[in-house]
This record gives sequence, C-alpha cells and structure tokens, in this order.
Amino acid sequence: MDIFGSLLQGFAVAITPINLFWCFVGCFLGTVIGILPGIGPAATIALLLPLTFQIEPTGAVIMLAGIYYGAKYGGSTTSILLNVPGESSSVVTCIDGYQMARKGRAGPALGIAAIASFIAGTFGVIGLTLLAPPLAKFALRFSSPEYFALMAFGLSMVVLLAGESFTKALLAMLVGLWLACMGIDLFTATSRFTFGTPNLLDGIDFVVVAVGVFALGEVLSNMESRHSGQMLPVPKGIRNLMPTWQDLKDCRFAFLNGSVTGFVIGVLPGAGATIASFITYGIEKMVSRHPERFGTGIPEGVAAPEAANNSDAGGALVPTLALGIPGSGTMAILLAAFILWGLKPGPFLFQDNPQFVWGLIASMYVGNVMLLVLNLPLVPAFAQILRTPAFVLYPTILGISVVGTFSVSSSLFDVAMLAGFGLLGYTMRRLDYPAAPLILGFVLGDSMERSLRQSLMMSQGDLSILVSRPLSASMLILTALVLIVPMFKQANAWRLKAAG
Amino acid sequence: MRTRPALVTAAFVLAAIPLSVPAQGFVPTKPVEFITHTGVGAGGDVLARFIASAMEKEKLLPVRMHVANKTGGGGQTAMAYLVEKRGDTHTISVYTGIWISNPLMLPEAKTTMKDLTSVIRLLGEPGLIVVKSDSPIKTFGDFIEAAKRKPGELKQSGSLVGGRDWVLRQLIGKQTGANWAFIPFPTMADRLGALLGGHTTIQLVDPQEAGEHIRSGALRVVVQVADKRLGPYPNVPTLKEAGFDVPSMTLYRGVVAPPGIPREVVAYWENVFAKFVQTPTWKKYLEDNVLEDGFQRSADQSKFFDEYADTMRAIFRDGGIKVVR
Repeated sequence: MDIFGSLLQGFAVAITPINLFWCFVGCFLGTVIGILPGIGPAATIALLLPLTFQIEPTGAVIMLAGIYYGAKYGGSTTSILLNVPGESSSVVTCIDGYQMARKGRAGPALGIAAIASFIAGTFGVIGLTLLAPPLAKFALRFSSPEYFALMAFGLSMVVLLAGESFTKALLAMLVGLWLACMGIDLFTATSRFTFGTPNLLDGIDFVVVAVGVFALGEVLSNMESRHSGQMLPVPKGIRNLMPTWQDLKDCRFAFLNGSVTGFVIGVLPGAGATIASFITYGIEKMVSRHPERFGTGIPEGVAAPEAANNSDAGGALVPTLALGIPGSGTMAILLAAFILWGLKPGPFLFQDNPQFVWGLIASMYVGNVMLLVLNLPLVPAFAQILRTPAFVLYPTILGISVVGTFSVSSSLFDVAMLAGFGLLGYTMRRLDYPAAPLILGFVLGDSMERSLRQSLMMSQGDLSILVSRPLSASMLILTALVLIVPMFKQANAWRLKAAG
Repeated sequence: MRTRPALVTAAFVLAAIPLSVPAQGFVPTKPVEFITHTGVGAGGDVLARFIASAMEKEKLLPVRMHVANKTGGGGQTAMAYLVEKRGDTHTISVYTGIWISNPLMLPEAKTTMKDLTSVIRLLGEPGLIVVKSDSPIKTFGDFIEAAKRKPGELKQSGSLVGGRDWVLRQLIGKQTGANWAFIPFPTMADRLGALLGGHTTIQLVDPQEAGEHIRSGALRVVVQVADKRLGPYPNVPTLKEAGFDVPSMTLYRGVVAPPGIPREVVAYWENVFAKFVQTPTWKKYLEDNVLEDGFQRSADQSKFFDEYADTMRAIFRDGGIKVVR
C-alpha cells in the first residue's frame, strides 16, 4: 500500500473521538510538564505507563507521544519568562528568549516559540511519514567516528556561544566536560570523580546542572537588586504581546534551519534534541548578517532552537518505529511500553500493526495543530506572570526548581547538588562567565569521549578512522571551518585597524 | 520532655513486633512494596510488574504488591534502600546479577548481597550470539577462526567491561586463544545499531530484545549461550555443542528482602513464590520471553550468591579489573 493510502487510514484511526481525546490529554499534559522544570516527558511517560494497560494501545501511544512532543512546546515558556529551562532541550532558548523578555518582548518571544514549534513539529512528522524506512537505514551508517565528528562540530559551537571573552567561554566549557565524565567508565569498569559516594556512580543528572546554573543562578543574582516590584516590563495591549510580521519574516530561515537540522539529528539514535538545538543556534548565528545581535534578544535566536527541538520529535520516531531502535531516551521508554502492550517493536511493526503506527503518525499532525491552538492564546496569559512582584516570583521559582529536581530521582543528594550549581551559576554571572558553554560541554562530553574511544578501538588505535570515512570527514572539515573562519575575520579586522 | 520515654517505649515495642510473630502466623497485612532498581519498562521493572499482577490474578497473596522504582548507582540505590528498611516484613525486591558483581569492582558500591536476606531465585536469562545476516561468518567456529587469523580486528558490540558479554568474551578468549575487540556501548540501541550498521561483527543479545531482528532476517544466530537449545532456535547449537566448553554465565534474577527479618517471614515468601512458579501464568511468561527456570530456595540462593561472586572475582582479576571486595 502506498504511503498516502496508509496515512489516510491512519487519519481514520486518529480522528475517532476517543483517540482525539487521548491526543488532547497527551498534548495538554505535555504542555504542563514542559512548563515545569525538572520533571520531563520521560519521567511522565514512565509514571503513566501502568495506567495505560486499561486503554487500547493505539489510544495509549497517541497520548504518550502527545506528552513527548507537547513537552517541547511547553519547555520554552519558562526559558523565556524566567530563564529556567523547562526541558533539557530548551536551554538554548534561554539565551535570546530571556533577553527578549527583559526588553519587554516576552509575548512575541512566546509567540515565535509556538509558531516555530508548530512549523518544525509538522515538518518532522512529514519527514517521518515520507522517509522513515530509508532514513532509518541512513541512521545505521552513523557509527562512533561519525558521532565523534558530530559532537566535535557541536562543541565547536562554543566559538559562537562565547560572549565577550573567548577564554571565559572555553573555561566554562571545560568545566562542563569535566562534569560530564563523572560516574562509571564503561571501558574500564572504574568510577571517576565520584568522591567515594554511590550517589555519583551514574554521573550528574542534566536537570540538576541546567536548573541550578540557569534558574538558581538567575534568582540569586536578581536578589541583589533591592527593588521588589514587577521584575520585567510587560507592555499593555494584545498587539504588543504577539510577534509582528517583521519578526516572522526575520525568522524565515530559522524555521527552515531548525526543521531540517533538528529532524536529521533527531533520526540519529546517539544524538538528541539538546545537541540539535545548540547546533541549529550556531548555524543560525553563522549565516546571519548580524551575528553580533545574537544573545541580545532577537527572534531568530528563539525560533531556531525551538524549531530544532520540535522537529527532533518526528526524527526520533523514525528509527523507533522503523527498526525498533529507540531514537532517544524517551523513545526507549515508549518502546518498552510497546512490549508491555504486547506489540513487537522492530522491522515488522509497520507491516504487522499498520493501524497502530499510522494512527500514531496521523495523530501527530492533529496534535501539532492542537498544541498551536492551545499555546497561542496562552501567550498573553503567560506574559502576565512577569507582573508578579519579585518577592513572590523568586521564592516560587526556587520552590519549583527544588521540587522539579527532587522529582527526577527522589534524591536529596540531587537537591544539595542543585544548590551547589546555583552558587556556581551565580558566581559565573558575577564574574561574567557565560553559562551556555558549560551546558554545551556537559551535554556533549560523555558521548564525545565515548565515541572517540569506540572509534579508536575499532581501528586498533589508528586515528585515520576519523578522517577516512566520508561522513565523519566532512563533519570534521565543517568543524575546522567554524574554528578557523573567525580567526581570519579577526586577523582582517586587526589589519584594517593597523592600516587605518 | 514527658513524651520522650513514651516514644522510646513505643519504638521499642514496634521494633520488637516482627520478632514476636509466631512461626506459621506471618501473613502480610498491608500492601507489599516491591522494589526494582531499573526504571519503568526496563528488565527488572517488567519482571516486577508482571509478578505483581500475576500474584493478584492467581490470588496467592492476601494483599496487593506495588512496584517502586529505586533507580541509580548501578543497583546501589535500591540495595541501600533495602538496608534502610531493616526488619521490614512488607518490602521485597527483585535483583539481577549486577547486584552481585558491581560491589566487587566499585569501591563506592558499599552494599553487598551479604547485607540483604536471600528469598528465592526465579529465572535465568539465556543469550544468543548473533551476526549481521550478510556476514561471511556462519558458525561461531568461523568467528573464532577469523579472530585468530586477524587478532584484535573483529569487534563485539558490548555493554560494559565487567558485564556478562565481557565475561563470556574473557572465558572464550582464554579457552581458544582468540582475541577480538570488545567495544562498550551504553544502551541496547547503540549496541544493536552498531551491529546492524555493520560497524561491529558480533553481539551477545537476549532473545527477547533481538527476536524481531532475527525473525526479519537482519540478524543470524551463530550459537546459543544456554545449557540446552532454546525453543525458537532448535537448529542452532549451544556453546558446548559447538565445542566451546565454557559456562553460560547465565544472568539470574530473583527476590531478596531487607536484612534482619525473621525466619518465618522468609519461609512465607519462599512458599508463596514456590507456589507461584508452578502456575501456568509463570510458565507461559518464561516461554514467551525465552527464559530459563532458575528456581532456587533461600539457602541455595545464598550459596549461589557466594559462588557467583567467587567466579566473578576470578574472572575480573584475570581480565585486569581491580577487585575491591
């Protein structure tokens, strides 16, 4: 049967009232947990899993998938309003989103995030519909050397994330890389930097670092100023709360860039939405005509990472559905759910359970529309949060951060570490160290080290494996360009200065 | 001030209650907390949830079991939780092999099986060694021959150094003199992806996780790591049949309880599970998931813990892992 016939059948499944209901429940829950920092879609799906045995698997999967991509819509909300990343993949959104809010443009930022999410989310599903089997095969060609090259490319983005001092950005990134290597080392069965405590055997959770450095750091540094009134300006009138036509025009390329990059990286089982959003942001800044304005609160800086992390959702489902190989951590839980429901994930899933698979895919088109309709009207309402007086808002953020972190693994040790990272974030702010490179290093460090060591084991220690494979070689060349081009620009600038 | 002696007395009485329960008298009176160290949907969790619902279906327990996931620290979070629950007669937990092996090599892993109460061993997970179907390797002997011809060049998709697949590689390598690379990947997705993409040569899989890829013809089973041939693969030899005299190093799962619980409570759980493993529900579960019956009572299982730890210690030392306990 051709794809369109299957998709139409899928729609027949997806738009039955009961499945529409599950889709809505999923999207709604997803938005809510996306807004709350700490608790993410993976944990929510895990929590709800036992309840899904009561309902029919197609309805259940429609709901759980709704939670997954719905969370990505909600994730941007607190990033923009409070500098608190609601989801791991919305860390990058903080950079320009929060600056927009500081300039009184919280509404337009939220609107752009929702529109970017919708466009890219739909793009991701179209990609999933049309290209799942061939793309899944492509993903298998990616192995350790390719992942290493991709991570190296990601890490080179530090050049673009650096603020005034490149040295400070590098130092922050190195701290991130160090934090990433804590825990059991798979290659030698020894533990690293655990300081003798079993609590660090699994390393540090991403939520602890991101919420600590961003949210707590922000709260602490805001406590210094004595004024207790409204924290950020919120203009009156609905028109000022929505993105302008010019904003959308500025974001045209960001929508496309985020959609494509996010989807392609999403398809790869070894790289996720967080990496995708960093890379998209970097690309956006590289090709921009005014790169110096990134980080000061421009709509492209919000649209690009938000598009990437939504398009990633469709991408992550490609290997999950076509091969039974989870495209991300959350997908691994979804696959486990398939097994618990009595389905057999793997190469036969499309063939054996067409109703289930196509019903799910069709529901994602519906879900993305639902999310847009759900999220856009909320923009003016959310923007009002900023009118809350600081003495109410900051303790609330603090409370949400602590509860959110505790909810990840019910560990007080994590909460103590959260406090530590809060202090680190505060100190970094005081000393003008950018936080994003630290997160970048933390996200990439583990898989970058691992893929390098795997590659070298594959080649028996021969470094040429990294450049002799076309995919990895081309990504490494790109990485070199990212690192070298700014140097030339700098040299040119100096020469001009000397000449003039 | 006045309340303190009363509280102390109360605490004393409460602590004394488990000890004063008469021999045949123990019956759980409130929901039983059933611990697993894995997250929802992973191996231990699936087993725990299955047992909880099957116990209810077979009406073997007067109360419900509710599954609690205590994840983290390679099983240590769950083990430490059980130690905290010392004397609690309404908490039990499923365990897996890493509960025995992790404390041997990780100095941070302070809780060992000796700190817990052995209840029952339930099942063993057999394994299959698979290659990609377009590989020239048809039998496990082919692989060993090829590995001898080109030492270190063939690759195995692995879990981690110290894991079951690594242990088997050590044993087979030692017996045959063959040497190949063991490349650790943290998740099943990465391991299987590397094998299916042709980046590695072989992998030890559990029949359930790779069953669909074998059925689709993407993977081929070259040898079974089990004591006898598994139902779905009647034509593939076991390691022993293929001429490799190494133990299967089966990964066992079973049930343990907190320390300091009375004998009769252990006996109660032993009897409940002894009845449970006779039910058709359990037998069907083993068959559906291609698992081996691994039934052992408390005392035998305690002996098994010690023997398994000794075996692992020797293998770890041989493989250059620092043994800390």
